[in-house]
Amino acid sequence: MGQPLELILARNLMSTISTPSVLVDTDGVLVFYNDAAAALLGQRFEEAGKMPWEEWGARFGPFDNGGAPIPFEELPLTIALRDGRPAHHDFTISDLSGERHSVEVSAMPLVSTQSGFRGAIAFFWQDGR
Amino acid sequence: MRVKVWGARGSVPSPGPETTRYGGNTSCVQVTLDDGTVIVLDAGTGIRNLGLALGGTAPRIHLLLTHLHLDHIQGLMFFAPAFRPRTEIVVWGPRSPEASLQDRIARYISAPLSPVEMRELPCEVSFREAPVSEWEIGSARIRAASVTHRGPTLGYRIVDGDASLCYIPDHEPALGADLAELGPDWISGYELARGASLLLHDCQYSDDEYPDHMGWGHSALRDALTFARRVEAQRVLLFHHDPLHTDDWLDAFAGTAGERWSALGGDPACVELAVERREIQVGAPAPVAL
Repeated sequence: MGQPLELILARNLMSTISTPSVLVDTDGVLVFYNDAAAALLGQRFEEAGKMPWEEWGARFGPFDNGGAPIPFEELPLTIALRDGRPAHHDFTISDLSGERHSVEVSAMPLVSTQSGFRGAIAFFWQDGR
Repeated sequence: MRVKVWGARGSVPSPGPETTRYGGNTSCVQVTLDDGTVIVLDAGTGIRNLGLALGGTAPRIHLLLTHLHLDHIQGLMFFAPAFRPRTEIVVWGPRSPEASLQDRIARYISAPLSPVEMRELPCEVSFREAPVSEWEIGSARIRAASVTHRGPTLGYRIVDGDASLCYIPDHEPALGADLAELGPDWISGYELARGASLLLHDCQYSDDEYPDHMGWGHSALRDALTFARRVEAQRVLLFHHDPLHTDDWLDAFAGTAGERWSALGGDPACVELAVERREIQVGAPAPVAL
């Protein structure tokens, strides 16, 4: 089956904005992230491909202000997927080269008018932008 | 199944001497299944003539609405079967978080826009929000899916025997995307239209007109044809003509469409512009009972 319209529209929007963003489906699979996210993280989606959100998220930390890893369960996108509500967090991520970036992340569930919960989207905002 | 176009115009009815051949009525298509069941796709002003043609021959009619823009429901209160007590009309359409399908349609069939109220219609009418999963009407299996347009909008796929019809009259799948490059999973309407025997698809604008209408929910010729090729539709009927497009303009547009379809590797005989009253047999004709 193809992607639901809500994810298609979200991807189209993400493809045209310079705000790093990632898209996850109802099964918790990361199905897309945009070029702005690729620039932040050091790897294009076409290179990474689809994968479980947990696996992808673990590649980049994230870390709290003291440098300690943040549990997967506490990440905004995880909360949006699990609880069906928006969530926000600021933390540090490490790109593939090891360089660290302070970011704020807002995630929200995507709920269809026709068929309910369809996945979640997260936007990253870098300090200093 | 047999398909008959009763209205192929988009946006607003456009009667007049310059639109007599392609017609000025808005979206309405009659589908007669192999078992005789009548399905009506959209209730634009074309449905008025359909109602007159049906007479009392169809005691049960399934009306599948893609969305509730006026050019897709305007003919509903001029549909003669709705005024026959012995007719049953089942209206299917998109759900909305804002109000039920019946309540949204009732905004049109009520004062001050209408002299009659929904509850005054003599027919037996019911409203059903299209399910996410496939369902059956008569001898056909029906599937509905959301497609890229403004507001909650569905496309439909009707499969009857070995024939399949896909109807997406209002659709802008190329909005913010390059259809030629996208993976199939990421093309709005792809699963609905894949391999359809006949695809009726939005083609409101020429490529030159499209930039001034981007985001309005409709397709340019380039995108309609690219979509049709990507889904490997066997036959294509370009639909939802802009009200400004005259017969002469559409004649030239049809020629361009054939050339462009051919350049994409298709048979130019398999793409045409929808014309009011045009009838098409999709798949083999139903066997005649002896």
